[in-house]
Amino acid sequence: MKKDNSNNVWIGELDLKRDPEFMENASNEFKDTPLFEMLGEEGVLTNQKSSRRDFLKFLGFGVGAAVVAAGCEIPVKKAIPYVIRPEEIVPGLATYYASSFVRSGDYCSILVKTRDGRPIKIEGNESSEVTFGGTSARAQAEVLNLYNTNRNKSPLKKEGDAYKQISWKELDDEVMKGLKNGGSIRLVSHTNMSPSSSKLHSEFAASFADAKIVYYDPVSYAAVLRANELTVGQRALPEYRFELADLIVSFNADFLGTWGSPIENAHRFMKNRKPDDPKNAKMSRLVQFESHMSLTGSNADNRILVKPSEQSSAAVALYNKVASLKGAGKIKALPLNEKAKKAIDKLGSDLVKAEGRSIVLSGNNFVGEQIIINAINHLLGNFNKTIDFTHADLTRQGDESGLAGLVKEMETGKVSTIIFLDCNPVYDYAGRETFREALKKVKSRVSTAYSLDETANVCDLVAPNHHMMESWGDVQPKRGHYSLIQPVISPLFDTRQAETSLLFWAGKAQGVKEEVYFNYLKANWTSLIPGDFFPGQTFENRWNQLLKEGVVKASVSQISVAFKGNVNDAVSMLPKTGNTPIEISFYETVNIGNGQYAENPWLQEMPNPVDRTVWGNHLAIPIRFDGVNRYESLNNLKDGDIVSVELNGQKLEVPVVRAFGQMEGTVSLALGYGRSNAGMVGTGVGVDANAMLSVKDDLTVYFGEQVLISEKIAKDKDFASVQYHHTMGLKAADGTTGEQINADERELVDDFWKNFTSGFQGALTERSIIYQSNLKELDDKTKSLAEKRAKFKKLNDAQIYNGYDQNYALGHHWAMHIDLNACTGCGACTIACMAENNIPVVGKHEVHRHHEMAWLRIDRYFYGDFENPNVVYQPMLCQHCDNAPCENVCPVNATNHSQEGLNQMAYNRCIGTRYCANNCPYKVRRFNWLDYTTADIMKGNEPALHLGNKEYNEESLVFGSDNLTRMVLNPDVTVRSRGVIEKCSFCVQRLQEGKLNAKREERKLTDKDVRTACQMACATNAISFGDRNDEESVVTKKMNSPLSYYVLEEVNVRSSISYSMKVNNRDTELNA
Amino acid sequence: MIAPVSKIREPLVYGHKTYHQITEDLVAPTEKAPSLSWMLVFIPALVLLVFGVFSIYWTIYVGIGTWNLNKTINWGWDITNFVWWIGIGHAGTLISAILLLFRQKWRTGVNRAAEAMTIFAVMCAGLFPLIHMGRIWDAFYIMPYLNTRGPVWPNFNSPLLWDVFAISTYLIVSLLFWYTGLVPDLATIRDRSAGLRKKIYDFFSLGWTGAAKHWQRWEYLSLILAGLATPLVLSVHTIVSFDFATSVIPGWHTTIFPPYFVAGAVFSGFAMVQTLMLISRKVLNFEQYITLNHIESMNKVILTTGSIVGVAYLTELFISWYSGYIYEQFAFFNRALGPYWWAYFGMMFANVVSPQFFWSGKIRRSVGWTFFLSILINIGMWFERFVIIVSTLARDFLPSSWSFYSPSWVEIGIYLGTFGLFFTMFLLFTRVAPVIAIAEVKHILKTSGDQYVGKDAEIQH
Repeated sequence: MKKDNSNNVWIGELDLKRDPEFMENASNEFKDTPLFEMLGEEGVLTNQKSSRRDFLKFLGFGVGAAVVAAGCEIPVKKAIPYVIRPEEIVPGLATYYASSFVRSGDYCSILVKTRDGRPIKIEGNESSEVTFGGTSARAQAEVLNLYNTNRNKSPLKKEGDAYKQISWKELDDEVMKGLKNGGSIRLVSHTNMSPSSSKLHSEFAASFADAKIVYYDPVSYAAVLRANELTVGQRALPEYRFELADLIVSFNADFLGTWGSPIENAHRFMKNRKPDDPKNAKMSRLVQFESHMSLTGSNADNRILVKPSEQSSAAVALYNKVASLKGAGKIKALPLNEKAKKAIDKLGSDLVKAEGRSIVLSGNNFVGEQIIINAINHLLGNFNKTIDFTHADLTRQGDESGLAGLVKEMETGKVSTIIFLDCNPVYDYAGRETFREALKKVKSRVSTAYSLDETANVCDLVAPNHHMMESWGDVQPKRGHYSLIQPVISPLFDTRQAETSLLFWAGKAQGVKEEVYFNYLKANWTSLIPGDFFPGQTFENRWNQLLKEGVVKASVSQISVAFKGNVNDAVSMLPKTGNTPIEISFYETVNIGNGQYAENPWLQEMPNPVDRTVWGNHLAIPIRFDGVNRYESLNNLKDGDIVSVELNGQKLEVPVVRAFGQMEGTVSLALGYGRSNAGMVGTGVGVDANAMLSVKDDLTVYFGEQVLISEKIAKDKDFASVQYHHTMGLKAADGTTGEQINADERELVDDFWKNFTSGFQGALTERSIIYQSNLKELDDKTKSLAEKRAKFKKLNDAQIYNGYDQNYALGHHWAMHIDLNACTGCGACTIACMAENNIPVVGKHEVHRHHEMAWLRIDRYFYGDFENPNVVYQPMLCQHCDNAPCENVCPVNATNHSQEGLNQMAYNRCIGTRYCANNCPYKVRRFNWLDYTTADIMKGNEPALHLGNKEYNEESLVFGSDNLTRMVLNPDVTVRSRGVIEKCSFCVQRLQEGKLNAKREERKLTDKDVRTACQMACATNAISFGDRNDEESVVTKKMNSPLSYYVLEEVNVRSSISYSMKVNNRDTELNA
Repeated sequence: MIAPVSKIREPLVYGHKTYHQITEDLVAPTEKAPSLSWMLVFIPALVLLVFGVFSIYWTIYVGIGTWNLNKTINWGWDITNFVWWIGIGHAGTLISAILLLFRQKWRTGVNRAAEAMTIFAVMCAGLFPLIHMGRIWDAFYIMPYLNTRGPVWPNFNSPLLWDVFAISTYLIVSLLFWYTGLVPDLATIRDRSAGLRKKIYDFFSLGWTGAAKHWQRWEYLSLILAGLATPLVLSVHTIVSFDFATSVIPGWHTTIFPPYFVAGAVFSGFAMVQTLMLISRKVLNFEQYITLNHIESMNKVILTTGSIVGVAYLTELFISWYSGYIYEQFAFFNRALGPYWWAYFGMMFANVVSPQFFWSGKIRRSVGWTFFLSILINIGMWFERFVIIVSTLARDFLPSSWSFYSPSWVEIGIYLGTFGLFFTMFLLFTRVAPVIAIAEVKHILKTSGDQYVGKDAEIQH
């Protein structure tokens, strides 16, 4: 008996003998297909004698076979039960693993929620002292990226224009052949904040004669890093302690949205922005210098409008003011607009008053300006107090000068191998045209791309990386703060972690690919990483503890910095101030970054927090009031009009959006869109503004002068914005009398009536939706709020049906409080809600038709002066009214009230009359207009996700129609079918779980047991949730605050969500 | 019911008709081959019906998303059309029931057609609440029936449920009334026909022999049904108005809606009866039965109800101002001057201004003017429902959700389809049953025939 019958099962004698013919047949079960073979042979059909009869026979057989085959199809059920239950998995119970979200400089310490082995949700890790349990929209959406249908599923080799699947062995052979050929080897990567991986990179480089790694960031931080290195000796971003600052001045740094470490920044910033006692209210003031309204600008108390080219001039002016007050030497002033000059005059003295309790920072990519900013902070004594380098931020360490150097090297032809580690310079590097050309001279081009992006498309070999959730790794986002990445699912496809690939290619490891890097990592932690974490235990215990916690803080030596720079030299490094009629600035959005997130449909469908548009970038143009009735804009453009924008010979056709807060004489456009290779979701969405970036002194310049904007050339027929009306009573001067009038209320009338009427004054300002106050008048405003609320209460109590309040006096009475002061509008909660509640993505065309499905939206209103408005973000979701107007109108009782005060939906009972949605004062109910989830019984009626995207009109798929994407669905939440209404459930599945946990543990339920997805996602703790009947609960306390109010309280729907009054600390003198 | 009639009263039947002539004239359309003019109307009606059926199929197959409704405006043309058709269906019952109780003889010229119109209009109306559902296949959930789901009952608090009862009751009573009136006439046709035709009419005339007992019972049944139907005239549109009045949305939440809706319904119903009757009397040669007197009487009703509607509109405006409630004030400001101002002013002109022309006797008795104004009023009443539903929803409490709406081809297709259904049914009806109640016209001949009363009277009682 031959021994190679591995499983000792044989079929008869021939099998035992390993007869070659038998073996051949056995491996090819369906080998005998004589009919088709016969048909396939040449001449068989034509040489047949009685061909007509045979034709009929074939026809009959063919049709018959097809009918039988079609009729006999049995639906494949893919549920496979466990025969032996894995130790950690209890069906129906979620398991959480601590890990880290890392992507091109974005970092978040997370817990990954898995159900039955599938990661389905990301939560913030509250043990982290970097992100404090908060998350961002980007982090929340990462779980969907694991199930990206466009991800590379095996190693690929380019042949002609197509990619061929190859095995890892073939790929390794090819790569190693290239590596051994001699010549220079270059690795290109975004900032790598992993200590082990960095070590591996250097070891990899050391194992070849001439190998180097080039780090860069998709949006450059090179100037600030260089300036910090030059003047304070630290090549890192500092830790900004916003919670200690009273006055924060930011030059174009969107630190709450995208710049630096936004989750941490938002958390720290908002600590000092929550006044709760109206008598002694205190909060910091944020002053933002910018032309385009960024997320940070929208949260600022004062915005000082300067053109992009004037940013450095403003920094110089501020330096001079501070220097004159502090007795330091002045530097050469640069031209600046008068309003800004006046504002800086006041701001400078305020800063000096807040010495050591202020922060000045800049997001501009000019070394000279960054040096001046450091000099200002130095004069104000902010270093080592509010700006600290001990726990310096290490998330951005790249410098695009490396890429410029690399281009030169490639042009000489000395680079023989280039390896791109999950980065996409062919798209996101400003000098990409020359880069792409130079790249052609490199013999061996390898990418570890997760999906076939623009860079992978010009590579010959693709060694696809694991997703973060399939990988091992460590991160050091800040000096002394470490966290781990651990796999939470076995690799879905034949991919391999990039670090493993490098180890293999450098010949440093062999063996099972899933273990190689894990061993390396662990070894690194035994020896290199500070050994003082979780002291006093064996390494294994400490390692396990670390895996459980996800984060560890090591003690690091205190670093005090002293400023040693030359401000006069810095001025000479500054760019010349232009004087062109229109300037354009380029910025990164909260959702898409510089294209890294373009493949994620949740993020594409998440509205840009500031301009509220989705699925694409739009040229923001300023709005002016004509003094009578109308807002006017550049070239009389309307939202969605397409214009041609020309800058430095580059032309783009882009739809416009009229943007309040955009400075007159400037426009702005988001980066990261218009990707040409971003799969079904990202390809062709928006326009590629990276084409317009320029490089100066090896630094990317994020604005342009001499921009030409055409008249309207077309209309975006699918212009998608989730909010048509944006304002809550903006003020402007009347053209004839000069008095302050409410400009938007005049704008409300139809064009036809503009000449006859001047609007309805009070239409917006007196609505009981947003209450806002300046810090100074907070005491008065809370009093008037109390009076108003007393009036509402009197009205509401005067009715024949009393006693609502007694209905919920027993048991739980769920309630939420949303602090409008703490909300930055970042949108993390909206993505968390999508992930938790299986909310479908509907695509641009459907959002254009106002069919978006988000249960939780963030309304954004402007108020104040129309030119320079303040902004309030209001998360709006089902208010779970105890006297709900939706409930009594449903003819079939599909929406009804629980005894715990929840407004609940029985989807199966809903017949879709939409009466409830009409009768909802908050308009939070969402109807499944079409078969968005493919859950419908009828086939072939699903709307295409990309209806309207010209690149994908033909082969568009319904989002979530494939089994891969469906893996992200939360099994605790029903997937709704076409024709039913849905809405926020207060995450009832979490409430049930929390109640059961408390009951099983025989204790009282606490706030910690019941936390909604939105609440947990929030980096600034703007959302509190709990039991209103529990006096101890946070929500009860917050609801009793004098700042709290209910939206539309006088309608007497008795909502369960209270909001707190928005307080701004605007200094009116700054914008006089 | 023959009572002495003053000789100076205007006659209601012209042409010195005898009983036999009346029979000949009124049965004629059912016995002749369809005329060219009938075909010219019937074929387009059928085409519209087919288009409507396809639009409904498309709605059900693809989803409500084929309509242009959105998260803010969840009802648009669907419910506008529903209320409009229901309103049109009001004249029938009013004419048959209330005018019967008030012994208005002129009703006999128009009651049959008006009742038929009611039934077809209610059928068109009833279609919309059904197909506007996201899941029409589960529409039976709204019926209160014993079930094993708990049992789960419908929500008796919901005005939509009241609608279901109100409309189905109305349809049933109207149908009975109409059919009761038809029985003697069907028997008349039966007696004139032979073969299969005779068998069919024999079946539907329920064994009518014309015995005195039959007539007596028939009279009683008519009276009882009139008594049942009279409250329905008021209740149906009152309940339809509750769909809006019981909500919390400013512009909907008003107590004036029930009387305002009922007046509007009678107003639009009479306008539609005018439109139809003016065409029918021309096409079917019924000028001597549907006289200028009939037209004038109906125009008077239109003038009255139109004025009531006008007062209601102005009251609404006053109350919104007087309420001192910002949302209410804004809702009406927005109706008049917001993006849908044209609908508001179209409604104001067509419903309030145009019926005022009927103060002039000449215009009241002018066929051309009446026809033109009746069309205008029908458009105006459609605008009224559109204004109430769409312009109110478009801008309600939260400015962030404000939105705009215009219909898709599917919605237009369904609306046109209901016209197709209505006219197809009506035209078929003119082919199978007398459009004017033969028995009832004969009933009043001796009191209102022009040989008995009026200036040409020859015969003395």
